[in-house]
Amino acid sequence: MSDENMLFATEQEQMEDGKQIDEIATRKFLTFQTDNLLFGIAAENVVEIITSHTITRVPMVPSYVRGIINLRGQTIPLIDMRLRLNIEPTDTDCIVVLNIDEMQIGILVDTVCQIIDIPEQSIRAVPEHNAQKYVSGMSSMPDGSGTMLVLDCHLLLSD
Amino acid sequence: MANGGDSILEMYLYETNTLLEQLDNIMLTAEQADTLSQDDVNEIFRIMHTLKGSAAMMEFEPLMTIAHRIEDMFFLIREGSMDVIPEQDKPKLFDLLFKSIDYFRNQVGKIEAGEPLSTNIDSFVDAINMFIDKIKGDKAAEDKPAEDKAEAEKPAEEKGASQGEQVAPTAETAPPDARYAYCLRVFLDEGCGMENLRAYMTVSDVRDCCPDFLFEPEDMEDNTERAAEIAENGFLMHFTSAADRKAAIEIVSGLGFVKNFQTIDHPLPAPKAEAKSAPAEPPQAEAKAAPAAKPAPAPKAAPAAAQGTGHQIKQSLISVNLSKLDQLMAVVGEIVITEAMVTASPDLRGLEGVKLDNFNKSARQLRKLTDELQDISMSLRMVPVSGTFQKMRRIVRDMGQKLGRPARLTIIGEDTEIDKTIVDAISDPIMHIVRNSMDHGIEANEKDRIDAGKDPEGEIILSAQNTGSEVIIKIEDDGAGVDPDAVLRKAQRQGLANPDVEYSQKEILNFLMMPGFSTNTEVTEFSGRGVGMDVVKKNVESVGGVVIMTSELGKGTCTTLKIPLTTAIMDGMEVSVGNSIFTIPIQNIRQSFKVTEDDIIHDAMQGEMVHRMDNFYPVVRLYQTYGIETQATRMEDGILVWVETGESSYCLFVDELLGEQQVVIKPLPSYLNNFGIKDAGIVGCTILGDGNISLILEVANLMGVPAGYAGY
Repeated sequence: MSDENMLFATEQEQMEDGKQIDEIATRKFLTFQTDNLLFGIAAENVVEIITSHTITRVPMVPSYVRGIINLRGQTIPLIDMRLRLNIEPTDTDCIVVLNIDEMQIGILVDTVCQIIDIPEQSIRAVPEHNAQKYVSGMSSMPDGSGTMLVLDCHLLLSD
Repeated sequence: MANGGDSILEMYLYETNTLLEQLDNIMLTAEQADTLSQDDVNEIFRIMHTLKGSAAMMEFEPLMTIAHRIEDMFFLIREGSMDVIPEQDKPKLFDLLFKSIDYFRNQVGKIEAGEPLSTNIDSFVDAINMFIDKIKGDKAAEDKPAEDKAEAEKPAEEKGASQGEQVAPTAETAPPDARYAYCLRVFLDEGCGMENLRAYMTVSDVRDCCPDFLFEPEDMEDNTERAAEIAENGFLMHFTSAADRKAAIEIVSGLGFVKNFQTIDHPLPAPKAEAKSAPAEPPQAEAKAAPAAKPAPAPKAAPAAAQGTGHQIKQSLISVNLSKLDQLMAVVGEIVITEAMVTASPDLRGLEGVKLDNFNKSARQLRKLTDELQDISMSLRMVPVSGTFQKMRRIVRDMGQKLGRPARLTIIGEDTEIDKTIVDAISDPIMHIVRNSMDHGIEANEKDRIDAGKDPEGEIILSAQNTGSEVIIKIEDDGAGVDPDAVLRKAQRQGLANPDVEYSQKEILNFLMMPGFSTNTEVTEFSGRGVGMDVVKKNVESVGGVVIMTSELGKGTCTTLKIPLTTAIMDGMEVSVGNSIFTIPIQNIRQSFKVTEDDIIHDAMQGEMVHRMDNFYPVVRLYQTYGIETQATRMEDGILVWVETGESSYCLFVDELLGEQQVVIKPLPSYLNNFGIKDAGIVGCTILGDGNISLILEVANLMGVPAGYAGY
């Protein structure tokens, strides 16, 4: 499949772009915005980023499951990050396709920002009283632009 | 076979298996009719001939010998029609053939497993020879020893031949070039078939060791007419030195289908002009003469021709790796989606007012072609179950004979097409169940059956049915049925059942499918090892199916395999509700019709019904069930689709019928199964031509979904 190769290549290129410092143990994250929150998701879980896909709604599912999309013949369920976080939904069509334990799933986000390297030790645990669900850690952005919440894929899928 | 041995072997195995299956079918029908029609005889003759030819090509001596003997036998039968077989010997003939089919299967299995072939075939050959003798009558007495001798002599003959024969040079054998003075004439085994190709194979084998030589006739590879000529006169190879020829002789004598050969030495200073013209002419003349002269002694030529026509049907089939088909499906899916993306490209919207006639025309054409491509690629994976079902005939027959229980197998719906992977997964389970039916189901004693008021001949019904959402395969027998008490006692003995618990009939039957359970106290050749039903269950479950057993003591047992059509293709009716599109399996649709609000009958439970064909059917408003916003909420605005499954029959109210389409059923993403989506009447989804997803409705489940409960 040539386009898979292409995809793969771009992904690698993207990864290479973000490669800056090799000395410290770092992890790559894809950051995206939902409402006013900046999330980061481990890059190894990210398959691709797609836009403008027709969503087919499905009965019997909670409202945050927006439905299923057709990604080149594969049907992938779609979770709306805003609805998952109980935030008023907006009209957005930016989908990050994740691969979580061999299962593909799409998450609907406001905007995708960048791929960055975060040093392992700069990721801090979430304060216990913090009400944010689905987040396993947080880290300040290297450029000082804010704080990134590390999204935990498994927590996202569990009820 | 130095070159490409593996793929040739694969071809051989495939071809041989196909032929054996064909033979099996012929024999089974023939046995029922208790005779072989002339067509059957011809067909068997042809099959044996091909088996012999290909076995010889692969140098599987024992297989070749047996096929050869049977071919001989059928040659006689063909000449004199079935009358040459005395009535009382017919069953023996059938038995002999079944035995030989088994023998071939067995040997082919060994070849597949890479084991050596068993060479002990004397008794088998004797049995065939005896039969031939019977057919031949008196004449055979003299022929038989001679023939046997010929068979026995074969290896010896080869040894003898390896010394070769020295023959004086003639003009015909003169080399086309004086340098190639050392000539070798090779004769092939009589009737080995495809002589020209064999000759060519020999030539290419020889070429491996000595590249510099000439051979005649030069067009032996492509020109099938040369076959007759080579069969009669052998073929020539010209070498430049005696050493080359010696090396070639070693190779040639190692080939199974070479009968013998002659060496011919030409004096080196051969007159050039003469030599050149000489070899050119005789072969041509012979080639012309050979077919003309042949018709009379036709036995070899005729089967060859017949084989040609019979072959064309088989050669239109090829075996393809399933993963390639999967790839094809994936690519086709993408093409369809891309096609829709191109023809409905948003860029085109900016071109309103521009004439796009040519573009539209081409787009339509492309659409048509991609549709066709989609249809074809979808149908590739589907195979009818008939192949699997037909194999059961043989099992019923064999077991019926061995156990002395006459039984017939009735097959229903063998044309049902199922995805290849499913067919593979269920063929063993079906075999197990049929064996069980024969061994445990059908009464051992014919008298028992007559006493029970049944036909003395047992019956096993094997049926397949595609309900749209699943394939149902039923194996029914009219035997003694399962004795629940006996099963329960046994289950308690085995420690599978708790003696203090009362079990329902269904639960008791489930014990049968537990590992290590076998009610038959004696282990027989066919069953009783307790590996049957639990393996059946496991296999069926591996493709997502279920096994249901029902039984009535004294009446029989019925085993049902229900397999969902996860990867299968079906005809569906696309319907729209609001902005959503759903697919209803065509098999479930009885009819569709329009009604007005006035036709709706309300009941006390706020249910709605409609009167149709003297009956009342409930109405399910799909937009209400799924909570979809739509304009069409009044009966006048939409349409009713009357659907039916085994148990229920009701009407679905939808906005519009969009049309019928063949769809590939895809399972829903596993993540969604967490939410019990299967209970909401949705069995899967399919991708439409425009790339959109349509949900496939499960008619059987939909009725029970309360309105609004499954809302989006």
